[in-house]
Order: sequence, then structure tokens, then C-alpha cells
Amino acid sequence: MGLAGGAPELFGGGRLRYFWIWARLGSMSLQSQLTYPLGSLGFFIGKLIRLFFFFAFVIAIFQHTETLAGYTLVETALFFLTFNVVDIVAQIFFRGIYSARRVVTDGDFDFYLIQPCSPLFRMVLSYLDFLDIAIIIPVLAMIGLVFARLPQGLGWERYVLYILLTANGVGIGLAIHVFVAGLAVRTQELENTIWIYRDMMFMGKFPADIYGPAARAALTFVVPIAVMTTFPAKALLGLLSPAWTLYSFALCGALMGSALWYWRDCVRHYTSSSS
Amino acid sequence: MGIEKYLTAYSIALQQVLQRRASLLMDRVGGIAVIVSLYYFWKALLGQKSEFLGYSGEQMLSYVLAMNLLRAFVFTGRGWELVGDISSGRIASYLVRPISYHGYSLALDMAQKTVHLFAALLEIGVLILLVQAPVYQPAEPATWPLFAVAVLLSSLIFFFLEFTVSSMAFWTSESGGPLFCFELFLQFAAGTFFPLDVLPKSLQAALSLTPFPYMVFFPINIYLERVPLAQAAQIIGMQCLWLALFAAMSVWVWRVGLQSYSAEGG
Repeated sequence: MGLAGGAPELFGGGRLRYFWIWARLGSMSLQSQLTYPLGSLGFFIGKLIRLFFFFAFVIAIFQHTETLAGYTLVETALFFLTFNVVDIVAQIFFRGIYSARRVVTDGDFDFYLIQPCSPLFRMVLSYLDFLDIAIIIPVLAMIGLVFARLPQGLGWERYVLYILLTANGVGIGLAIHVFVAGLAVRTQELENTIWIYRDMMFMGKFPADIYGPAARAALTFVVPIAVMTTFPAKALLGLLSPAWTLYSFALCGALMGSALWYWRDCVRHYTSSSS
Repeated sequence: MGIEKYLTAYSIALQQVLQRRASLLMDRVGGIAVIVSLYYFWKALLGQKSEFLGYSGEQMLSYVLAMNLLRAFVFTGRGWELVGDISSGRIASYLVRPISYHGYSLALDMAQKTVHLFAALLEIGVLILLVQAPVYQPAEPATWPLFAVAVLLSSLIFFFLEFTVSSMAFWTSESGGPLFCFELFLQFAAGTFFPLDVLPKSLQAALSLTPFPYMVFFPINIYLERVPLAQAAQIIGMQCLWLALFAAMSVWVWRVGLQSYSAEGG
């Protein structure tokens, strides 16, 4: 087994063992969040405020207009809620990356390397955010309401494609988190990198069609937020061609492969940075 | 006498902010994404319309650009640092110094705001050049000083308001959650993401009874000359009242907090 960890350890024969490690880490995350009930409640209410204010904003806007870039209220809500699903699922599972820099500078990463567990797994999946699990429930309920208001007879294939492309969006999010983990190991700084990703994700709240051609191209090919958040909803509405669908999946595979390669390279050059 | 030490603190803090250029750059890059997103959102909504919610296209897109400016100057604060200082006990080292912590904090706050203000101006300039954004130019010369005063007062209101909320750390080590919640609510209720005219009239009326719209929404409306000069002066008067209230409250909470504060070790 290479020290860098990665695909063989993550997805190979030890899957069940990793599940139990993940479950244990999740249990520890829950306990740590319950230790600070007031703080957790504040964060939870804050997240709810963000979700409902934006949703109310979208609804309020449609009291004054019929369409946004040609999309109706229900369709715009679908884009907004799909963004939320991709974003929140990434927050639930990949929250560990937010402490990546501290893990490296405090020397904890040295311990990760000598443990019989992929350091990448520890770095990215070591924290489970239960507040976001609670937040995603109303989001899923709202998506159910939006589905009920979509034209009938869309066909189950479109719903399957929507789910697959949404999962694909989370996969791209994972690749970005792996890149950021590699950056933390290589540079011991750039703590703000993940926050840039979060802020960039803001652009996914609305359908990518609202942006100018240059911004749209950047969101499709450079920082593929449109692929993560707009494409699934477009597929459900029947507006995504097979070529773009293939591109989405290929992009996720390519990004994941590059991210894992970069991670291994960063770990290979790691020389311990703590005191 | 006494002001020099705060000016020195301001100067040192300014150098520290500029020293961490990578962090500053990344902070700003994130902010640009938000502003670009909202800019295109409103542009798409306006489409071929000449006005939306009573805003001309020029006014609406200028609102978005002004939001970036106010977000940088008003909502850059040290609330999280204050929470950290109190929770970790670092505050003790300031209490034994011959300075007012409020004054010291304000000096550091202003240093951050100065840098972020210039960065925001630069970003707006670049955005105007890149997307040929139309910018509303006030017709009345008096609008400029009124807007400047309103923005300065907003910034001070935010400083004392955030200071008050962050001082909860004197009583609980969990004040980060309420501070997060407060900051998010404040940004929405102030009109940092969208003009409050979007909301139903009843909600607008309720919000106007709070200090929040006085921090972003009303100052931008002064700039866009959507309120007559007399009403602009009235808004500034209300800002002064809110400022006095929150300054007094933050000093009071600070004093009470210090009475319950204890520190051990060195």
C-alpha cells in the first residue's frame, strides 16, 4: 500500500472496514456537535435563514416577473434547489477538508500517514455535519413539491438522469475537495482556497444561462459549477443534449483522476511540517 | 492626547492586513463571484425592461455594485477575533494595557475596512470595464457627502452591533453559533443580497423599524437618489440614533461581561 492512499484503499477490498471507520468518525462528529448545543443551534438557524431567505427571494421576484432567462418560477426553483442539494451533500460528507491546514501544521497528518487507513479518507471524510443533514430534509421536501408542479409525463428516464447528474455534481465537488487537500499538504497554507470554492458555488444558485458567454464558458470548462448545479436540472427539463451529458460524466472522471494523481504527488513530496 | 496610540494600532494593523496579501486576495476573489452572480441575475431579470421594482436598469445594476462596496466597508469586522480573544483568555493581555479595547478594536477594524474598501473599488472598476456595466451618477452634488456620511455611520453601527453580539463570549464558549446566525440574518435584512423592495410591503415596514435597512438599503437609496434630500437627512438622523443606542449597549454589555470574566495563568 502506498502512503499516499487513494483509490485502491478507498474503493478496494477494505470497503466495509472504511464504512465502520466512517461511522465511528460520524458518531464522534455528532458527539462534538451535541457538546455545543447553543453554538450548533446558532449555526443551524443561520443555515435555515440562508436557505429560506433565498428561496423567499426567488418567490418574491416572481411576483414581479413571469420568467428569469426564460425559466418559470418552478423551473428556477428547481435550479436553486438542485444547487442546494449538491452543495449541502458536499458539506455533509466533505466537511473534514475545512481543518486540512490545521491537520498539516499541527502535525496530525504525520499520524494519518502511519495509521492503517487512507490519509485521503481521513483528510476529506473525517467529519460528518449533522446540521447539514437536518438542513437537507426541507430541501428534499421542497424538491418533491417542485417535482409535483413540473409538467406531467416527463418520463422516469429523465428523473434517473437528474439523480445521476446530481451525484455527478457531488463527485466533481469531491474532486475539488481532494485538490484542496493536496494544496494543504503541499503548501501548508491556502486555508482560504476552500472558501473561494464556496463563494464560487454562489454562482450555481441561478441557472447558468443568466451569465454572459465568457462567464458561462468559465463555469462549464474552468470551474465547472454549471456542470454541478445547472446540468442536472436542465436534463430533467429535457434541455441537456446527450453530448453535454457525456461531457459531464467524462469531466467528473477526469477531474477525479487528476485530483487523485495530484494528491499522491503532494503526499510523495511531503516532508512533515510540524514541530 | 491618547489618539496617537490608536492611530499607531491602525497603522500596524494596516501593514498586517497588507502583509497577508494571499489571504486578502482570496477573500476578495470570493466576493467578486458573489457580485458577478448577482449582477448577471439582475441583468437577466431586467432583460429588455426599462425598469424593475421602480429601479431603472442603471439604478438596479448600480445597486449591485454599491452592495459590493458596502459589504466591504460595513460588514468587514472583528467579531470572530473578539470571540476568540475572550474565549481563549487573550483578552486579559489587553485589559492590563492603558488602552480602551473598544478604541483599539475600532482602529483594527478601520484598518481592515480601509484595505477592503480600496479592493472593492478596484473590483468595481474592473467589473465596469469588463462587462460595460452602466453606473448611476448622482445628479445632486449633495448626494455624495450624504452617501459618504451614511456609509460611515452604517459601518459604525455594524461595529458596535457586532461587538455587542460577540461579547456573548463572556458568558458562553458557544457564542460562535449565534454570531454566525446574526451575521447571516443581518446581511439579508440589510439588503446586502437584494433590494428590500422585493419583499412584501408588510415585511418592508417591519424591517424599517429595525436598524438593519439603515446599514445598506437606505444608504444605497441615498446614492441612487431614490429618496429626496430631506428624507436622506432624516435617514442619517435615524442612523445617529441607532449608533448612539448600540454604542451605549456595547459599552454596557462589555462592562457587565468584564465583571463576570475571570482569567487564570499567564
